[in-house]
Amino acid sequence: MWPTPVRLRVVADDAYPDWEAVYRDNVDRMYRVMFAKVGNRPDAEDLTAEVFVTALRPLRLSASVGEVRAYLLATARTVLASYWRRTLGREITTLYEDRALAEPAELPVTSSANARAEAILAELPDRYRQVLQLRFIEACSLKEVAAELGVTVGNVKVLQHRALSQAATVADRTEA
Amino acid sequence: MRRVRRYVNDLLRHRRPHPFEADAADAAELRAAIALRAAGPDNAPSEEFVEALHHRLRTELDDAPPQSSRISSRRRFVASVAAASAASVALGAGLNRALTGDDGNTAGPPPADETVVPDRGERQAVVAAKDLPEGGVRPFDLGTIVGFVHRTDGQVHAVSGVCTHLYCKLALDAPARQLKCPCHSAAFALDGAVLHHRLPIALRALPKLIVRESGGVVQVFAPPRPA
Repeated sequence: MWPTPVRLRVVADDAYPDWEAVYRDNVDRMYRVMFAKVGNRPDAEDLTAEVFVTALRPLRLSASVGEVRAYLLATARTVLASYWRRTLGREITTLYEDRALAEPAELPVTSSANARAEAILAELPDRYRQVLQLRFIEACSLKEVAAELGVTVGNVKVLQHRALSQAATVADRTEA
Repeated sequence: MRRVRRYVNDLLRHRRPHPFEADAADAAELRAAIALRAAGPDNAPSEEFVEALHHRLRTELDDAPPQSSRISSRRRFVASVAAASAASVALGAGLNRALTGDDGNTAGPPPADETVVPDRGERQAVVAAKDLPEGGVRPFDLGTIVGFVHRTDGQVHAVSGVCTHLYCKLALDAPARQLKCPCHSAAFALDGAVLHHRLPIALRALPKLIVRESGGVVQVFAPPRPA
């Protein structure tokens, strides 16, 4: 192996100097995309790793930055689909609509995830919205939520359950 | 519903959720839970994870191609990665070199002529010889292998009908005399050679199949259909 010429920075339509640059430039976004699709850290980490292990090996660095990102996204799509088939037998979330990785924009993933969550919550009755906001987004325990809302832990469980099933209806309706 | 609740609880406790067979109603609820969770904590990668994966990639990419013993000892998902990237692993050192900087449009592995030789195969008729005139092309599906036979200079030839990228089924573009992939627009010649594609990887040629003409039929050597 001989040394690669060092480039100071990567610009659009340029190529990556080496696989480390591909990794550094895309790992944050890839994790965010996966987290938005699976909702838990251990799986988001595994899937992110799977994408890079799968995609980097055959990657040709003569490809442009845009092409590399598109290829990572295509790999992520396949990896996510097979994760769902393996764990729940059907595809719960997909990457088809996402342009997040291919776009040069800085980290749009998290803000679009936030917007989506807000849109779902906005359509729910106050009580339901509160309980989901506290439990899912602010990561409060059942006890904390019970104290906050002035109800019992049992009430919170029931509220959360009903709120989530209504959120499912809203989410399905607003998906299309 | 109980299992959906457990799944959601796992999400809320930052744990890896338990797999189960989900139905459509479950899926809607899980989608909502994930959409909400996506706006919660954990949505950025930890520095620890980023460094650990970097280290792991360095080990895997800068070393020789992985050996099967190494794969089997790793975590479960790695096996599926290996399967998914079997094509690239097979290309081995050439690709590693491409990745570590010795690249350019001329690099990438020379597409070695590969022929599918099944362990237990039999000659199976795919088309009557008279239906495959000079210059003709016919698709076939033997259940175990799909492909295309064609006749050039009087000889019959056959190639696999599955794209070497992510294994979508190729379609015959008869006027152009090309085999085209519906997924990412790769195109192959009838002899299996890669004509063009826009993938940032080195794409392998289509494997050839063993084929002959006998008793008025064209036969391909393929495994028998599963019972």
